[in-house]
Amino acid sequence: MSPTASEVLDMPGLRTRALRRALLALAAAAILTLPFWAPGDYFLKVAILALTFAVLSTSLNLVFGFAGLLSFAQVGFWGMGAYASALCAVDLDLSPWLSIAAGGLASALAAVVIGAPALRVSRASFVIVTLSFTLVLALVSRSWLELTRGPLGIPGLPSLDLSLPGIGTLSGQDPSVFYFFALGLAAFAVGLVWRLTACPMGRVLLAINQNEPLARSQGIDATRYQLFAFVVSGLLTGMAGGLYVFHLTIVDPTIFDTYYTEMLLIIVILGGPGNLWAVLAASLLFTAIPELLRVGSEYRLVLFGAVLVASALAFPRGLGGWLEQRRFDRWRRESRR
Amino acid sequence: MDTGFLLQLALNGIVIGLIYALIAVGLSLIFGVLEIVNFAHGQLFMLGAFAMLLIVSGLGLGYVVGVVGAVLLTGVLGFVLYQTLLRHLGQGEFERGIILTLGIGMVLQNGTIALLGASPNVVDTEFAFVTLDLAGLHLDLQRAIAVGLSIAALAGLYLLLHHTRMGKAMRAFAQNREAALMVGMRPTRIAGQAVVLGVAFAGLAGAALAPVFTVHPVMGIPILFKSFAIVIVGGLGHIPGAVVAALLIGTLESFVGGFSSLSMQDGVAFLAMIAILWLRPSGLFGKGVRV
Repeated sequence: MSPTASEVLDMPGLRTRALRRALLALAAAAILTLPFWAPGDYFLKVAILALTFAVLSTSLNLVFGFAGLLSFAQVGFWGMGAYASALCAVDLDLSPWLSIAAGGLASALAAVVIGAPALRVSRASFVIVTLSFTLVLALVSRSWLELTRGPLGIPGLPSLDLSLPGIGTLSGQDPSVFYFFALGLAAFAVGLVWRLTACPMGRVLLAINQNEPLARSQGIDATRYQLFAFVVSGLLTGMAGGLYVFHLTIVDPTIFDTYYTEMLLIIVILGGPGNLWAVLAASLLFTAIPELLRVGSEYRLVLFGAVLVASALAFPRGLGGWLEQRRFDRWRRESRR
Repeated sequence: MDTGFLLQLALNGIVIGLIYALIAVGLSLIFGVLEIVNFAHGQLFMLGAFAMLLIVSGLGLGYVVGVVGAVLLTGVLGFVLYQTLLRHLGQGEFERGIILTLGIGMVLQNGTIALLGASPNVVDTEFAFVTLDLAGLHLDLQRAIAVGLSIAALAGLYLLLHHTRMGKAMRAFAQNREAALMVGMRPTRIAGQAVVLGVAFAGLAGAALAPVFTVHPVMGIPILFKSFAIVIVGGLGHIPGAVVAALLIGTLESFVGGFSSLSMQDGVAFLAMIAILWLRPSGLFGKGVRV
């Protein structure tokens, strides 16, 4: 008996689905066991940076990709979380874990304080206000010597240890242990953003992003939703900064470097704003590329700038958007048959 | 308090305010007509300064040639950037415009570092080390020339915007795009003219400041960020507002610098911006506000 049409049509679909599952399982296994097969500490450090960038870019994706707000405050949140966490641990003798939470809370609070006035005006003002927020923090970190110790930064952060009953104490000084801390935060951040965007709120954000006046006419308080997304991103980014300083064991004003802003934007824009998984993949890829491309930083930045220009002109919706478009086109072709 | 000291601070503030005004006016013009926040504006300012450096120190030509050359070169660059890149931006693609100009700025800045190095350079003109004495107040001749150039350029811009067809068309576009289209104005031509003009203003500011400060590839960044704050304080897209805000912030900075620390001086513009956004979200002279 010859197979029916539907079976023929389903076969390749089935195969690619099974293939995709197998690939995903493989990737998950590789990520979970990475410290056991990593070739060295350097590799682990790049992996920790990649996971940290995964948190940062996912947070920016929530704000820019879903809520439609181009935020330049992310690096400000990251540095603020880093400084708040370091100061809590060193000056207030809080436990490092509480310090990380304090870093996240400080950034979330900052998101409310700057987000509320900035969202009142226009998208243009939002961009400029968030950018200025980051610049002011960089200025404070360099100049307020009594609090931040100025350009020398705050060295000698305590080790981030985790005591587990029955196993003993895991020391965060060991990069393979710290890798799992970073993985935990990345999983928390991605899970939270995924939950938020999968629930009705995600639809609301999408609606606001696509047509704000229409969304408002349906009685949606757009500003409140946007502010909420902004605050969540502040919280996650602040926690990422708070965690990462315990890996660096020092925090100084270079944490506010514009390089981070440019990297984050490239990741989100090339990944595809509004596409959680594509941006996640782009963040892992783009933290590895600078390590592979061992060219002078100015050539690298020229290249990145050119990439931004090209993607703004050619792929406004990023790689994720392009793949999605291909998927839609395929559906359309299949439904026409 | 010594009145001479206060007057000197006020004079310094007005001088730097006028330079800020040149940059902020260009930003405002481009924003008003194209609705693009030009993130490459600081790098274009930097290129104006580098053009001055290359013409005056490199080729050994005079101050006037340097300024004219810098304005022409940046104007041409603005034309090329508009024709090749900015022209492709559609209406309402605000974020895309920022990403595009940010990328342009990165290429220009890091390209300059790659070609010419990151170290600061001094432009040595024939007017260096001459100080004017105005009834007890001191003013460096090169700063005085910068002030004269700014005032002339701003006055010229005023005449252009109010008394020529081109300028009126730009204002029309900034006020009501649809209506301007309806009466048959050509958007690409007017937008191109606005970009060339705005970029040339940045180039002029760079050329005028080059002999006063040192010239280096990242010099545009802090001044751009201050200009953003100025543009917000004055009301986005509002050109006279940008001039007034620039003078206010320049003076405020000078006084804060005179009585407090240098880092406070750098923070003034941002504090003023945050205060304005709380009190008058549309800026001092802005149009209607979405609340």
